[in-house]
Amino acid sequence: MASSESPIQPTGWLRLAVASVATAAGLAALLAGAAFALQAVTLPRPSRGQLIAAQTLRRLTGQDAVVSRALVRGRPVASVCVNVVVGPLGGDAHHVKASLLITGRRRLVETRFASYRAGSTLREEDGPLPTIRTALAGCPRALERRIGRFLDDRALVAVDTVFLRGVRRLRLSFHRRDSGLSLIVDPRTFAPVAVRIPRVRTSWSYLAPAEPRDLASPSLRLPRRLRVIVKEEA
Amino acid sequence: MNAWLRERRAILAAAVGSRVLVLAAAAADHRLHWPGGPVPVHGASTTHTLSILSYWDGVWYRTVAEQGYLLIPGRQSDPAFFPLFPIVLRALRGLGFSFLTTGILVANGAFVIGILAFYELSRRLLPADVARASALIAAFFPMSFVFSMTYPEGLVLAALTLALVFALDGRWTLSAVAGAAAALGRPEALFFALPLAAVAVSRSRVSGRRANGRAIGAAFAPLASVAAFPLYLGWALHNVSAWSGAQQAWGRSFELGGVVDAFHQLFERGQTPWLWRDAAFCLIYLALIAAARRVGISWPWLVAAAALVLLPLASGTFMSDARFGVLALPAYWGVGALARRRIVRLPVLVLSAALLVAGTMTIPLANP
Repeated sequence: MASSESPIQPTGWLRLAVASVATAAGLAALLAGAAFALQAVTLPRPSRGQLIAAQTLRRLTGQDAVVSRALVRGRPVASVCVNVVVGPLGGDAHHVKASLLITGRRRLVETRFASYRAGSTLREEDGPLPTIRTALAGCPRALERRIGRFLDDRALVAVDTVFLRGVRRLRLSFHRRDSGLSLIVDPRTFAPVAVRIPRVRTSWSYLAPAEPRDLASPSLRLPRRLRVIVKEEA
Repeated sequence: MNAWLRERRAILAAAVGSRVLVLAAAAADHRLHWPGGPVPVHGASTTHTLSILSYWDGVWYRTVAEQGYLLIPGRQSDPAFFPLFPIVLRALRGLGFSFLTTGILVANGAFVIGILAFYELSRRLLPADVARASALIAAFFPMSFVFSMTYPEGLVLAALTLALVFALDGRWTLSAVAGAAAALGRPEALFFALPLAAVAVSRSRVSGRRANGRAIGAAFAPLASVAAFPLYLGWALHNVSAWSGAQQAWGRSFELGGVVDAFHQLFERGQTPWLWRDAAFCLIYLALIAAARRVGISWPWLVAAAALVLLPLASGTFMSDARFGVLALPAYWGVGALARRRIVRLPVLVLSAALLVAGTMTIPLANP
């Protein structure tokens, strides 16, 4: 008898389809589980300190300005640091991301490549001091670079709990062969609230996020001709 | 076994011979201190005779093997690199070799297996002469020096070709395991879920019920394996999207207008001229994939290969497309089809070998 009908009943097809899908899903889930377990068993995990430091870095990448207070030779000094772009500089037509640090009458511009004292013009400054200053002032980019370098090298990051004016905070201590950094962060937001560079034997600088500043604001006292080179970020 | 090996002697000789060429060229670079200047990547070894094979991404794979993953926001970091190769490096550290030596041994050993498996795959799909020409040229392909670097491409080639061979033989569980391994090495292996699914569908009539389910499972295995990576990062770094976050820092975020940006980048002032190598290879791969159609390679294979070559352009750059394309298997079938006659094959092989040596020696100049 010629017939085009399938010998398998509709319920049989359904059962077949369900069994096939279940087998396929089971095999895929088994392999996904095995792949996950293989990674979990063989690869080392970062320490708690490194993970908190990474969270702090994430926080810093979203921060545009910071105000800081520190004791310098027994006197309180306040600074404000703003993310800016700088350029063109010298023969280089490109614009570079930078930090503008304002402490009293002093203005310091720091990029990844060089630091400049800002007077009526930008004058390059040598030595490690400008970089240390911007890190201690909590300039987001300077701190980012410093913490990032520690994490790139997978430096040890110790974590302990401290109380700052009665509020629970986390202290991160970064250690590498020749350098170190201490950072106190808010355990809830991971925002840095204080920073110190032990090797330089400075006191703690206390940090607070600030609103982005208008560089033309009289309070910043940034000369107009400098504002052609040092600009707010778009 | 002897008869099996005898039949594949030429393929094995080509695979081993091409690796000898690459290793010799790398050693010559080291010996001649060529091209001089600073090491292009921070943290790369310079003391090993074959150091240049561990440059560029090799440094990152070593970091993952040594220290595991860590996403460093705002900076280039290692969750952009898939875990199979570092896992293998770590598993073999008991042998007492350095990560660099282990990496080179693993990559080159896997490449030889991969070429043999590729020949087996080709024999199942193509006439014998085309299969042979394809495997020989694949072994000497100009960009194939990346299979000798401390990169996962060698491992992925072996796992991917084995997954496809097993699928064509109806050994679905083995295919699923190999496919999952390939996708844990490089996400591009995901594209080959398409030909795997096509093989599964075409064989469904002759397979039993359980085999049918396993066949579908094998097609989904690369996807399952790729999904396991963000899950692991979520567990280890408390960040499921660490991979995409790291990719962004590497300039690899995918956008609709990315392909247009990739062409613009070619003409930007100050861009590295090596981008043109990647663009040229992109065109070569596409032409060869089209040529593979002439020998009857079906659409799922061609689409998978074309996607593998074209999709990276959506990230706005041709950078490294020459390397990504080495896993576009149908491209080798295309060149095999064009060079099936000995009179064409020989010059192609000689030219490929010369370019392979040149490519190896210029590793310090450009990120492949």
